[in-house]
Amino acid sequence: MIDFLIGLFLATLIISLFTTRLYGLLLWYSLNSLTLGLLALFIGHELDDMAMLITGIVTILIKTIGIPYILKNLSQKFHFVRQINPEIKVQYAIMLIPAILVFTFYLSEPITQMINENNNYIAISISSLFLSLLLMMEHKNIAPKIIGFLSMENALFLLGITATDGMPMLVEFGIFLDLLMAIVVMNLLFHNEEAKV
Amino acid sequence: MMLFLLLLPALIMFVMSLYKNDKAKRILSFTSFAILLPMIKLFLLPKPYHIWGDYLIADGLNTYILLVSSIVGIGVTLALLTLDKHVKVSPNAYRRFYRFFAIFWIGLMFSILSNNMGIYWIGLELATLSTVYMIKTNHSSSAHKEAWNYMIVGAIAISLVLFGIILIYASAKPILGEDAMSFNLLLAHAKDIKSPFLFEIGFAIVSVGMFVKMGFFPMNLWLANIERASFYPVAALFSGILESAVIVGFFRFSKIAMEVNYDHLFIFIFTYTLLTIFIVSFLIFRAKDFMRLFSLSGIEHMALIALFWVSGGTFAALLHFGAHAFLKPALFLSTGVLESNGKYKIAGALKGYKGKKGTMFWFLVSLFLLAIISLPPSPMFFSELYGFGAMIAIAKKSDHLLAMIGAILFLLILLSVIFYRFVAIYQSMKYEGEKNEKRVYPSELFSLVIFALSLMALLLPITFDYLKGIS
Amino acid sequence: MILYFLTIICLLLLAPILLSFIKALKMILLFKKPISLLQGYRNFSKLMQKETIISSETSSITRYAPFLVLSPLLVTMFFLPPVVKGAFYVSFVDAFTITGLISLSTFFLMLLGLDSASAFGGMGSSREAFISALVEPAMVLTIFSISMMAGDLGIGQAGVNLAYNFPAEHMSSFLFAAISFFILLIAENGRIPVDNPETHLELTMVHEAMILDLSGVYLAIIEMAASVKFVIFSSLFVSLFIPFGLEYSPVVAILIFIAKLFGVAIAVAFVEVNMAKLRLFKIPNLLGISIVFAFLSLITFYVLGY
Repeated sequence: MIDFLIGLFLATLIISLFTTRLYGLLLWYSLNSLTLGLLALFIGHELDDMAMLITGIVTILIKTIGIPYILKNLSQKFHFVRQINPEIKVQYAIMLIPAILVFTFYLSEPITQMINENNNYIAISISSLFLSLLLMMEHKNIAPKIIGFLSMENALFLLGITATDGMPMLVEFGIFLDLLMAIVVMNLLFHNEEAKV
Repeated sequence: MMLFLLLLPALIMFVMSLYKNDKAKRILSFTSFAILLPMIKLFLLPKPYHIWGDYLIADGLNTYILLVSSIVGIGVTLALLTLDKHVKVSPNAYRRFYRFFAIFWIGLMFSILSNNMGIYWIGLELATLSTVYMIKTNHSSSAHKEAWNYMIVGAIAISLVLFGIILIYASAKPILGEDAMSFNLLLAHAKDIKSPFLFEIGFAIVSVGMFVKMGFFPMNLWLANIERASFYPVAALFSGILESAVIVGFFRFSKIAMEVNYDHLFIFIFTYTLLTIFIVSFLIFRAKDFMRLFSLSGIEHMALIALFWVSGGTFAALLHFGAHAFLKPALFLSTGVLESNGKYKIAGALKGYKGKKGTMFWFLVSLFLLAIISLPPSPMFFSELYGFGAMIAIAKKSDHLLAMIGAILFLLILLSVIFYRFVAIYQSMKYEGEKNEKRVYPSELFSLVIFALSLMALLLPITFDYLKGIS
Repeated sequence: MILYFLTIICLLLLAPILLSFIKALKMILLFKKPISLLQGYRNFSKLMQKETIISSETSSITRYAPFLVLSPLLVTMFFLPPVVKGAFYVSFVDAFTITGLISLSTFFLMLLGLDSASAFGGMGSSREAFISALVEPAMVLTIFSISMMAGDLGIGQAGVNLAYNFPAEHMSSFLFAAISFFILLIAENGRIPVDNPETHLELTMVHEAMILDLSGVYLAIIEMAASVKFVIFSSLFVSLFIPFGLEYSPVVAILIFIAKLFGVAIAVAFVEVNMAKLRLFKIPNLLGISIVFAFLSLITFYVLGY
């Protein structure tokens, strides 16, 4: 089941690389975070780790529902461009994405040999980090870039829950706090833009 | 209690920024001095002193860095008093600037004092996000663009740091459990880490993230562009406080990496910094305005500090760091006076000062300018001597002495390119261009005097002893 | 052996019903009065009775091609993985054979379109070539990777292996292959995001453009080929990606299999109703996703498998 979820995580990320609509992108991001939250719940259940269960629930609440909802609201309020065409042509992306994946899988091979359990998760989370960087690179508009940043956060979170069996509670909540802070700052940036125009 | 005292000036600033009162900011410049009291106390206390359990620990290194950044903070608060005299800024934005400055300061204080990788990261992220808004205070389209730019690139850099931290944590968790986040325990058990490759990859990613944040090799110009688009105090905060928080993290991580595998660390940092200085020196040669010039030279000095630190020249790195952290904010703050229109043109910037204040101002600025290229009385001169000495000493142990001497000669050539450019710029500031009258306000002069005094204090024997005591 | 032929006959009989079912379901979803499930048979018998007219401009290709379109597909039917336990199956057929047979059929379809020298036929053929050139690599990769996961290159044996011991450790790789194959199923059968089988609009036609000149028996054969193709794809999808139910008694197993086929048909109908047709030059994007996933499933199998 965990394998299935982790596959779904990568799959949603890759589909979001090809998306040309903002709301579609938000949907894929939200599904991506949903799989992440479910993953945290499953692993937390397996390890019997209360902290991870809590972070899983918080992830689902904030990242799956909260952030896409806020971003959608923002986009309606400030009239974002909703058609977001990737700058990298699909032909190249088709070659680039497998290349990135192969590269990261081989890059992380020595690491995966060192960690006994969950060894392929690290490879997948490193590659999803690179894919979210690609997502940021291939768009010129600001909204997809924000989503790229958020999915990078997701990739880090995935690494945190799989490679280390969960980070200390304090750190995880700090990360959530920072995420919310990021949203607040974005909101302010957009608001100011509005006030000027 | 100690923590509260340290955070008090920033908290006062935060609360004051909520009141719509113009007089409020005058109080701030006095309250910010209050941070010096707990600082002195920290210096007197036996080290390491646990401020908050195992999470925040003050030892020799971060007490020194905290002192340096606090002085910068005081200087910036003083200079902020007259920000509206030099640039156009609405009262609302002004207050918001203060509010985010307070958050920034709190975040970095946590970062500098932290003994925990996670808290270090959280503080850094908090500071990064609050900077975004400080950049945005300037109501120009370029500032808006650069604020987004900073948001995105800074977030990438910060995420890379977190990524590396997770990998390091994963590498040390089998032996340390949840305590694998603490710097001091990691340092003590660095030799026992079972998977050094994992640690090294984590360290490499952390340092690339930090290097991006400090503007090293591939990202040379992004900081310069941002500092140019935002108000000048932001640049001072960057070079004085933010970079000190980043560099303290670098110090701590590389200290652990030295234990794990010194050769890999040295070669990695050595090539990276050399490449950075190579590119930056020629960028400086082409620089056409103050902001770009100063921020590029900041990159150069940061690269030198990192290089000295990994070569084992702890003292040199710390001295260089202190000197840079005092000089660069002073210069950035003075740019507000040198060219008030935000164009930062070089020619004629040092002309047109009247009265005692004016004379003193240009005298101090020219001293700073000459000190930043490490002319002898400046602490940078000594630190570079010690630093190159440390590099030679480290090469003597291996059989690459000739290569190291070659590298140092190469570095000196690059530094002389920078030296030449700065001298040319100084002459152009003094003797070219037209004469525009410029006003100097007492608070600015006062902050410059503070920086000058602390710079001199760096040269005292007692400081030398303290810095040499930090291992 | 008997079971083997019985299942194939059963699938052949089911083929027109499945397509009519998709159409009917779509009509229900669009609040129209649905057509009967037997509409496929009605069309077939109607076309069989009609006069067959062949343009005087055409060569002999037009007379042979419809059979050559159908026959590779019929051959492929015999190579599918078994539906019930103990049924006979051909074990030497791998990804390349299946893809090759299907593209052979496509090739003759394209020739048929070109032969009449009408403007539409050429256009349809060129579009079909464009799409199938993108479909083939993805299809080879997908089937190859799923058969790697099953531990046997032969598709029949792979289906059996998957049903009996499912490779749970390759779940992510399996998932990617499934996504890729579903996109291929839609693309190769000319369903909505790629081609609309219901219109004769110049801008959108792909499959219909090629067979615009046909009539009577030939048209019936081509329509039959289209429905057989859908059955081939959906039963491949069912037996490779929803592999369960093989261990029951033959009747139950066949019923389960048919139910799964209808499940695929329902999924296709929902996709069709919910999506707009893509512009022709957007199709590579969709198929690109499919290629990426196919490749990805192979990579994850090799790199992360143990």
